[in-house]
Amino acid sequence: MGTLNHGELTVMCTNLQKACEKQLRSEEAALFGRLATYFSEKTEKPGRQATLQEIGLIIDEEIATLYPEANEQADKAQDRGAKRALLWGEKVTRLHKSFLTRLERNPKLLDETPVWVCESCGFLFVGAAPPAVCPICKVPNIKIHKMEVK
Amino acid sequence: MFASRNVRLCTKDCICLFVCPTGATDTESGQIDASKCLDGCRLCVDACPGGAIYLVPKNYPKPQPKHEDVVQTLFALAESKVKTRQLANALGDDHRLARKALDFSLEVLAEDCVREGGYMLPQSAAVKEFLNGLKERYREDPAFPIEAVERLRDLL
Repeated sequence: MGTLNHGELTVMCTNLQKACEKQLRSEEAALFGRLATYFSEKTEKPGRQATLQEIGLIIDEEIATLYPEANEQADKAQDRGAKRALLWGEKVTRLHKSFLTRLERNPKLLDETPVWVCESCGFLFVGAAPPAVCPICKVPNIKIHKMEVK
Repeated sequence: MFASRNVRLCTKDCICLFVCPTGATDTESGQIDASKCLDGCRLCVDACPGGAIYLVPKNYPKPQPKHEDVVQTLFALAESKVKTRQLANALGDDHRLARKALDFSLEVLAEDCVREGGYMLPQSAAVKEFLNGLKERYREDPAFPIEAVERLRDLL
């Protein structure tokens, strides 16, 4: 625990914030939200502009090593929850890779077409309208949000 | 356990109003008044034709033990997702929308790893230990919202 960095502590807290919201514990959710904001503000920034290629390289490493290792352990322990998270996570990660490749080829990709993200599993989709149910976690598309910037 | 309504499923048949012994569902907000709701009563849950009312447990079962190696590999992935998220947020301004989409998606992936890595239930012993660890680690920092941690310890 003592070794978690601020970015990791941020997601620990946003995860618990969402868990509290699902149990209708709004005070607890807001408190975890405050902690998440504190850690998010402290999170180290690269201090330079990142490239699509370097993000792609980390993803390649995840698919080559981290996912197979985690899958092996989850299989061995017969941990259904972990296997579920890894199955969805790996599919979404492959979508990230193809998204980055498409952006590299066409930096104007999102000028013409909207991009959507599923709040349940992270499914990322470029298209005019989202599918009726998420193809990865099968949640109805009320949970798939259009990404917009001001 | 108190009742809650999923307003997306509610078809306004209002049988809950009819069966509720305390009038807890008689609200304008579309939600059930938890302070009037009888613990475990579930008359409205069983009567609702839309299946729109459910019970929220006060106490969940103890989380199943997580294998050390599963936790370790899931946290290694979470670490990688967080790193990718930081890089995605450092993409140039011509990628503002991609930045936002990747940030949101990677947040969900990282959260799912720590969730399955033993932090699903806020009421669990693992979360109490996590909160205690934070108090210890940040007690020198006056900007750290220590009162939030203490309140969470009381509530959970």
